[in-house]
Amino acid sequence: MTAPLLEIERINSFYGDSHILFDVSLNVGRNEVVALLGRNGAGKTTTLRTIMGVLAPRSGSIRLDGEPIQGRPPFEIARRGLQLVPEERAIFGQLTVEENLRLAALTAPSAWTLDRIYEFFPRLRERRRSGGRQLSGGEQQMLAIARALIRDARVILLDEPFEGLAPLIVRDLVRVSRELAEQGRTILVVEQNVTAALSFADRVYILNNGHVVWEGTPESLRADPALMKAHLGI
Amino acid sequence: MPSAPLLLSQAFNGLALGTLLALVSSGLTIILGTLGVLNFAHGALFMLGAYAMYVVATATGSYVLAVVVGAAFMLVVGVALERGLVRLFYARPHEDQILVTFGAGIVFTEVARAIFGGNALTVPTPSWGQGIVHLGFLFYPTYRLQLIGIIAALLFALYLVLYRTSIGLVVRAGIEDARMVGILGINVRRAFLGVFALGVVTAGVSGMLYAPIISVEPDMGSNFLVQAFVVIVIGGLGSFPGAVVGGLVAGEIIALTSAFNAAYSDVMLYAVMALLLVLRPQGLFGSEGRV
Amino acid sequence: MARRFGPELAMALVLIAAPFVLPHLGFSFDLLQRILDWGIIGLGFDLLFGATGLLSFGQAAFYGTGGFVSAYLLTAHIVGSVWLALAIGTVAAGLFGLLVGWLAVRRIGIYFTMITLAFGQMAFFLENSPLAGLTGGENGLPGVPVPSLAGHKLTAGEPLYWALAAIFLAGFVLARRILHSPFGTVLRAIKQNTARAGMTGHSVPAYKLAVFVIAALYAGLAGGLLGVLQSYMPPDAFMLDTSGQLVVQTVIGGVGTLIGPLVGATIWLWLRDNLQLIPHLGALWKLVLGLIFIALVVVLKRGIAGEVAFLVSRRSTRAAEQDVPEEGGEAAVMPVKAPALALGAPLVATGPDVPALRAIGVSKFYGGLHAVEGVSFDVRRGSIHAVIGPNGAGKSTLFKMLKDEIPPTAGEVLLFGNRITGLGPTRTAQLGIGKSNQLNQLFLDMTAEENLRIAALARARGTFRTDLWREASSLPEVERQVRAAIETVGLAHRAQVPAHVLPYGEKRRLEIGIALATGPNVLLLDEPLAGMSPAERVATRALVREIARTRTLVIVEHDMDAIFELAERITVLYEGRLLAEGTPEEIQRNQAVQDAYLGGMHEEGMQGEGVHA
Repeated sequence: MTAPLLEIERINSFYGDSHILFDVSLNVGRNEVVALLGRNGAGKTTTLRTIMGVLAPRSGSIRLDGEPIQGRPPFEIARRGLQLVPEERAIFGQLTVEENLRLAALTAPSAWTLDRIYEFFPRLRERRRSGGRQLSGGEQQMLAIARALIRDARVILLDEPFEGLAPLIVRDLVRVSRELAEQGRTILVVEQNVTAALSFADRVYILNNGHVVWEGTPESLRADPALMKAHLGI
Repeated sequence: MPSAPLLLSQAFNGLALGTLLALVSSGLTIILGTLGVLNFAHGALFMLGAYAMYVVATATGSYVLAVVVGAAFMLVVGVALERGLVRLFYARPHEDQILVTFGAGIVFTEVARAIFGGNALTVPTPSWGQGIVHLGFLFYPTYRLQLIGIIAALLFALYLVLYRTSIGLVVRAGIEDARMVGILGINVRRAFLGVFALGVVTAGVSGMLYAPIISVEPDMGSNFLVQAFVVIVIGGLGSFPGAVVGGLVAGEIIALTSAFNAAYSDVMLYAVMALLLVLRPQGLFGSEGRV
Repeated sequence: MARRFGPELAMALVLIAAPFVLPHLGFSFDLLQRILDWGIIGLGFDLLFGATGLLSFGQAAFYGTGGFVSAYLLTAHIVGSVWLALAIGTVAAGLFGLLVGWLAVRRIGIYFTMITLAFGQMAFFLENSPLAGLTGGENGLPGVPVPSLAGHKLTAGEPLYWALAAIFLAGFVLARRILHSPFGTVLRAIKQNTARAGMTGHSVPAYKLAVFVIAALYAGLAGGLLGVLQSYMPPDAFMLDTSGQLVVQTVIGGVGTLIGPLVGATIWLWLRDNLQLIPHLGALWKLVLGLIFIALVVVLKRGIAGEVAFLVSRRSTRAAEQDVPEEGGEAAVMPVKAPALALGAPLVATGPDVPALRAIGVSKFYGGLHAVEGVSFDVRRGSIHAVIGPNGAGKSTLFKMLKDEIPPTAGEVLLFGNRITGLGPTRTAQLGIGKSNQLNQLFLDMTAEENLRIAALARARGTFRTDLWREASSLPEVERQVRAAIETVGLAHRAQVPAHVLPYGEKRRLEIGIALATGPNVLLLDEPLAGMSPAERVATRALVREIARTRTLVIVEHDMDAIFELAERITVLYEGRLLAEGTPEEIQRNQAVQDAYLGGMHEEGMQGEGVHA
């Protein structure tokens, strides 16, 4: 068995002086879709930000394809093929859709063509000359994911991709995520929308108060309402 | 009421001054808009450019060489200033950034004074720029006329760099959200260095081009610094089109009011700025929010 | 007595000793006078920059105005008394400061600095040409007479030194009183956290303008004295270099110490006068100062006087810090007792059925993004009302509109039946809406007690008052309010600890305490439990219940257990819209709410995958 593509080992992260992650360990295998669930404030977003290098862990190690990446700046980590799609989407509002994509592709080792992106998201082709600010929430999320795709990222970290979106659009994005998963892309997704996340995840971790408290398959989670109630509040 | 020919020629003078102010202010506004740093050393960098022109042009007699060597020199100054000082201040309050660049300006000015003395030096007009052109409605010094063209070309080149290249894409994205630019695999710190150096070179080249027109002295930059501030307040902080339009507006205000009453020309510039601050505080091209 | 007025007494002794000691070190009387003159303009500047955080590069405008108005009145023989001319010049500078400040304080940071700088230049050009007939233009005004006192002329040299020293001392005493007055406390609060100072109910623009005028008055007086002590008013008083020199001297001497500008001027002018005497080095004095200045900005930051003050005060701060538990340690058990507040917002007389707070069709759009859309609900007087919803549902945006921190795109909010939309956060605070924020908004370098005092002062003094002379802690009802609030949030043992030293959970409680100390009738709590440990959560829930006994509470919180325990009614937001409203029991049973938290995508398209709790 080969080593997992992304290995996180006992990381501890802080915001200022408040301790957020406590010895968090998890790994994501090649071509695997892993969901990271938990209540608000459990440390999910912090986990993703720590992996991306936005936040440096105080201790612990993060390895991508066996090579340590903790403590590296985000741009170096991105160039190694890891890509965070942040919760707030962070679309450049002053840039057009196409400029957002071109910017993302600048330093990618093997970028997708714009055409390929537009086949994936026909809506973005229609809006390619629109400023990022004029996009609806769903379009912004598509663009945010598209920016990771155009970089042909090996591992995509999705932070609450369905947050604040209408059900129809969520369904669309779930379809996209499933397609990506089927194509063999590696994804670590954080989501409050448990149903949506479970619908395309291979494996699940649950985070509570900065600790990993459970690890298993979507099936075993669904079969355990008490667990869901205890850690996800549903 | 001044005569029509006088007004016309003053309008033309305004264009000449305006293009220069546009170029000086562009350098300032690029740094401000991207890095959030108000560079109080900008006037001193303008002055350094003029001295570079003086040194190389008087030594070699070649203006083209002087501009090339001078621009390279300014690039080195810009890189050193960013790496050595300004970089440490991106995360500090605006007031600290202002203080440290103000201090750098003092040091540059005093270094120039120590080397060249406090007396005004003159850079002769280049051979290809001597003489006077008859424009129909007025006679105009050839070099000043050429300068309008040269600066317009430089502004256009800046426009191309900022809006038609990937550097510009990074800069404009960096203005909005530098962290996300980094997450997309771009070395933001290097981009910032490039932006700062570009702003410094712009200030220096402005000083080089203007050196044959004014006397070169250590304190020559401060007036341009303040006028550039007014220009970017008028145009909108951090906006390149704002700096260009603001520069032209400022140039015309100074030139046209002096056709009526020379004593008030500088005062009028500030009065217009005050008016704008009341009516449209974000400037002509600025958007609310930043700063 | 000696302790309380220690700095004043020390300053008086220094001023008395200076003419006996310093001449041996290369200080002439002329130099001492010029240093004191810079010190006077510096007192005002340090109140503006050091205390309030407003960096002006335009003080030369007021320095020059005061100087030229005084000098003109005297040299044109319009006014005979030098003292009267100085007074008129000072007032003229203050009036000019009022005009420039009115424009400048609308903006912050870079904008503020640039505006002051530009007006400084405008004043320079005004003096130089349009007004040259009055001011002498580039020649300045020679022949300014010296003042008389009790029939004796205060001639240049020692007599004039004593006059300047007395004026400086008076200015110093006044500046220190201002700094420690309620007015000065608000100034310091503005520097620490402008937004929170406004949210507690202080009119930030009014205070900024007032301190701007005070700084202009000091500058005007110093300008007038410059003409007197040189018997000549030089035009370069108006130059940008003057403003710049003041800034440099203040930073070298120590920002926020009041004496910093004096110390800086001593160094600057002494170096200039004495380095110039050294061959080959003479021209370099300013370069040396420039390098020292940069080094201070980069590394030391506090300046010379600031460093000394820091060393003196460090011991007491250290003791306080050692007393605070390590981060991550269990919070001290907090006894829940909530003494009644001394001060409260005025109660509006309305019928009992008028809701405390009513949102009517409130919307907020950011471009194409509909953060909140058409939300209406009532908050019953005296109840705890919760607003819940998934991340991104628009709760915090809605909350900000309830206090009018951000203007709604459409709709309005009524407080006890009166429209508050459009009034802004300062007015709504005065009307009785308090708010604690999702992210702490503290005055970090001030003690816990001072943090609360700032809030209580807003209730006691209204949006703006110029009580410059009294001690900040001398208002009995404010102090009672501070004590009640600090006991309620369980921080009495931390009263003298700077806020930045407190562990996270205590900072969180201080955040609530500030909102409470404004004496609100309606208190908005945005995620009060966020980031707290389980033990702290329990304690804070008790605190919330206690606070709610005497006022209306609206609370946003993710901790569902806490919400279901505390709230009387719950409003559920989803995608910016109102999804449901009802009692905790109703909300728990509500299928739409269940679905919202599950993602609103059950059944179709997801056959067999829906999760039903």
